[in-house]
Amino acid sequence: MSEISRRSILKAGALGAVTILGGAASSRAGAPASTPRAPLFFTAEEAAFIDAAVARLIPADEQWGGAREAGVANYVDLQLAGAWGAGERLYRSGPWVPGTASQGYQLPFTPAELFRKALGAINKELAATPFAKMSAAKQDAYLRHLETSSTDLGGVPSDVFFMHLWELTVEGFFSDPVYGGNRDMLGWRMVGFPGAYASYYELVDQHGVKFDRPPMSLAEDANRHVHMDPNIPAYLLTPSK
Amino acid sequence: MATRLKPVDAVTIGVGLTGSLAALEIAQAGLTVVGLERGAARYTVPDFQSPPIHDELRFAVRKGLMQDNVKEAVTFRNYSDQTALPIRRWASFLPGTGLGGSFVHWNGQSFRFQEADFGYRSHILQRYGQKFLDACGPELTIQDWGVTYAELEPHYDRFEYLLGVCGTAGNIQGKIQPGGNPFEAPRAREYPNPPMKETYFGAIFRKGAGSLGYHPYPQPSSNLSRPYTNPLGLKLQQCVFCGFCERFACEHFAKASPQTTILPVLLKNPNYELRTNCQVLRINLDSTRKKATGVTYVDDAGREFEQPAELVLVTAFPLNNVRMLLLSGIGKPYDPRTGEGVVGRNYCYQTTGGATVFMDENININPFMSSGAPGTMIDDFSGDNFDHSKLGFIGGQYVGSIMTGARPIEFHPTPPGTPAWGQEWKRAVARHYNHTILIQQHGTSTASRLNYLDLDPTYKDAWGQPLLRMTFDFPENDIRMSQHVADKVVDIGRAMGGKIVVRGGTKRPYNTTIYQSTHNAGGAIMGSNPRTSVVNRYLQCWDVPNVFSLGASAFPQNATYNYTVTIGALTYWALEAIKNRYLKAPGPLVQA
Amino acid sequence: MIPRRIRTVMIAALAWFGANSLMRAQNAGRPPDLKRGAVIAAQGTAAGAPACAGCHAFNGGSDASGAFPRISRQSAVYLASQLHDFATGVRASAVMSQVAKHMSPDDIADVAAYYAAVDAPLLPLKAGDSALIKRGELLATVGSAEKQIPGCNNCHGPGGAGEPPSIPYLAGQYGSYIASTLHLWQQGYRKSNPQGMGLIARSLDDQDIAAVSAYYQHVPSSLVGDIAEY
Repeated sequence: MSEISRRSILKAGALGAVTILGGAASSRAGAPASTPRAPLFFTAEEAAFIDAAVARLIPADEQWGGAREAGVANYVDLQLAGAWGAGERLYRSGPWVPGTASQGYQLPFTPAELFRKALGAINKELAATPFAKMSAAKQDAYLRHLETSSTDLGGVPSDVFFMHLWELTVEGFFSDPVYGGNRDMLGWRMVGFPGAYASYYELVDQHGVKFDRPPMSLAEDANRHVHMDPNIPAYLLTPSK
Repeated sequence: MATRLKPVDAVTIGVGLTGSLAALEIAQAGLTVVGLERGAARYTVPDFQSPPIHDELRFAVRKGLMQDNVKEAVTFRNYSDQTALPIRRWASFLPGTGLGGSFVHWNGQSFRFQEADFGYRSHILQRYGQKFLDACGPELTIQDWGVTYAELEPHYDRFEYLLGVCGTAGNIQGKIQPGGNPFEAPRAREYPNPPMKETYFGAIFRKGAGSLGYHPYPQPSSNLSRPYTNPLGLKLQQCVFCGFCERFACEHFAKASPQTTILPVLLKNPNYELRTNCQVLRINLDSTRKKATGVTYVDDAGREFEQPAELVLVTAFPLNNVRMLLLSGIGKPYDPRTGEGVVGRNYCYQTTGGATVFMDENININPFMSSGAPGTMIDDFSGDNFDHSKLGFIGGQYVGSIMTGARPIEFHPTPPGTPAWGQEWKRAVARHYNHTILIQQHGTSTASRLNYLDLDPTYKDAWGQPLLRMTFDFPENDIRMSQHVADKVVDIGRAMGGKIVVRGGTKRPYNTTIYQSTHNAGGAIMGSNPRTSVVNRYLQCWDVPNVFSLGASAFPQNATYNYTVTIGALTYWALEAIKNRYLKAPGPLVQA
Repeated sequence: MIPRRIRTVMIAALAWFGANSLMRAQNAGRPPDLKRGAVIAAQGTAAGAPACAGCHAFNGGSDASGAFPRISRQSAVYLASQLHDFATGVRASAVMSQVAKHMSPDDIADVAAYYAAVDAPLLPLKAGDSALIKRGELLATVGSAEKQIPGCNNCHGPGGAGEPPSIPYLAGQYGSYIASTLHLWQQGYRKSNPQGMGLIARSLDDQDIAAVSAYYQHVPSSLVGDIAEY
């Protein structure tokens, strides 16, 4: 996304101009930026927090773009709006009892509910100075506070919220672009991961070879155009009987 | 009201590794067999094709091929005085589901166990004495299996040739072979296929470990090094090192699975019928409670059926095997307070961990070029291969560099001291991703009277049945063991030229939120004494002789290695007894 | 779509990296000389190799007969490996083995880098039989359960656009060339990958070969060329 459109959108943010999130269809560097779309899940206020937060979790630097450039906020929005956000593959029956660290997540919330609750509490707490308007240093300090404390956010301990946000951010940075993040395969190009096409029989024993084939998405066609489809559910769809 | 179906000779609960293997043997012996698989049917073409299968988010992170926790989970606690809570999302272990089970998305790591593993208690007592064992832990309940390696060897051979395992033998009929593992148990003949090409990290480990006087060997692999036709006439192809092995299915017909090594023949057998999307609720017993009459199951439309059968094979993965016996009232459930009872007893896991070795940034590891069973390892610290008498623990771990890929959502190592997120984290990830080697430690899980499985009193599955409850922590013995090996691993990391070597080693308490292994074992263990085992040495239930429980649930404790090939061997061993003795004269094969 | 100039530079850069780091030639370390490669393509080598352009055209687009493969924008590493295979007999061809034997390692590196960087339009070709193309698409994307063949694109890349450096594109390649070379794989005249491509080719029957040939010939890929418009 271009600098100009992002700045103007942040200004408009609180007023409900909900076009923060990055484009629907991603393509290679040099392609014209695609039209931003309205978030499916986040409200404008929530989107403003998420956009600014992920930009601190994985910031841009002089060499590589970060979470914002990679469309991580778009990815998170699509995940929370879809089956995963609604609680697919989550054992949801009660009773819900706080457990030990070894027992893992025990809250009744689906990811979507968890984000709604936590973001509601955060935006209420920060109403006077919204997160997006803080300096980078203050944003980092606030994120660290969420990460290291168990401040109650509408029933969600802040460290649990932070962990969810961080995991989604890493996924959004490194998952296949078909899911709406890792735009232009920025995350893959940064580390040198070649992507979903992976036949290395001839190369595996060329020890130490410098391998810089551009990465390939599972959703790209013969013209390197990535067809994003975020609604792939996390189970194997089989046409067999 | 359940619909009663026409009787068949045998039914398998689950159609994964043991379910496919057992069904084929029995159907070929002339019996009618129904395979009931709770998940869906799926095949290499079209379901396992890439690029869709090369989707880390969907399959590795969201566990797309695994059991759906919405329907069925497991509850967990470390200790009996805690309340077990549901594992609401899989992490530490990943139960499979669907046709082929976890034998579809395993890594293909294909070891045999060692001779001493089968008579573990006798071996330890003989070498170190009772006082030594008590000092390792009075709660340890290691047992002998009731079967020897020598008895299993022909079945190991048969299973390895079914899969087309690739490797270099280290011991052929007692003669140590160059290039192989000098510690391995003697095998009758060479592996069916040569070892896989050596990856770079494998070569670096081999040189480092070799320089310290250890004995590196190529990991035995069921991802194939060349095309192969197995004894059933099924053809496998050559692995292309795509780096999407465990948690993924293979698009190239190059990973041994039921789909590539058994099912095409099984499904053509007129005696066999596969029914998918059928959840078995319980095994039905007659009024004597000593004979199974068949099973009750529910299909995916919610209709209940009763399938009468003369022989019931529980082939549902260790955790589900134990649960099925408990739900069906077969065998006396284990009571940890009294130590009485057997079903659920001696639940074990795998003790894993390992070091991270950060190499010079000019060394391109390219770990994304890998297979499921790559690399090289050493057995110098496995099992009882080293003298434990001054060490105060039993057991050991193999050590090797076996990175099975480098998918970036889950693999992005950073050195200690790197912040958990932000600018410095990002720089460290970019800097180290392609220049880091992982060394794995993988080893024994010693049985303890404190670790067991039973039925949860509170939480239920989608069919209204109690979930399995798991009570487990690593015995102190296993912690001491892994810490000892961790020190050796650091030395190897340095010998490999690591600039920074981050020590591994397992810690307590066992934490279900971190992936470790899906080698759950025990709970329906085999043995020679019905008071301390659920099944006899032919995996036949002592209490209900027409029920056999096949799989790693039979292991009295877990040994150093990945256990898939041992499960195959043990299954062939049990099936030989079923075909040659049981079917001719149904009844107990061993007098209690 | 990526502007052509940028694409050309990208491909050339890839060819440079590819050729420099992966070629089995003895001259690893010498960057390939595209200009010199162009001269060889146009005029042949001093040692007597004829001009590549005589069969493959100066822009690598060959001609519509399909007797000579399209080599425009093909991976440099792959092109070089084929020339080496022709020279050593790993790949049999009465014509090409003579050509390759009169090329030095530097000649091979330069010509491969040149053709990897040059554009040629996709020629307008007769459309194939639609049922055959459909079968070809299935084999390309999903494979065949009965014949145990994984989809071609697993290895040959998205839409068959190639998985550089070692696996060539099929998209836009002449169908008759694909067919003839699959027969060569079947019969063992191409020996570089007997357990991969050799095995797969032997699993295909003549209908399958006709199908994938008809399909790939018409897959439009901007990576290998723009569709010529007249």
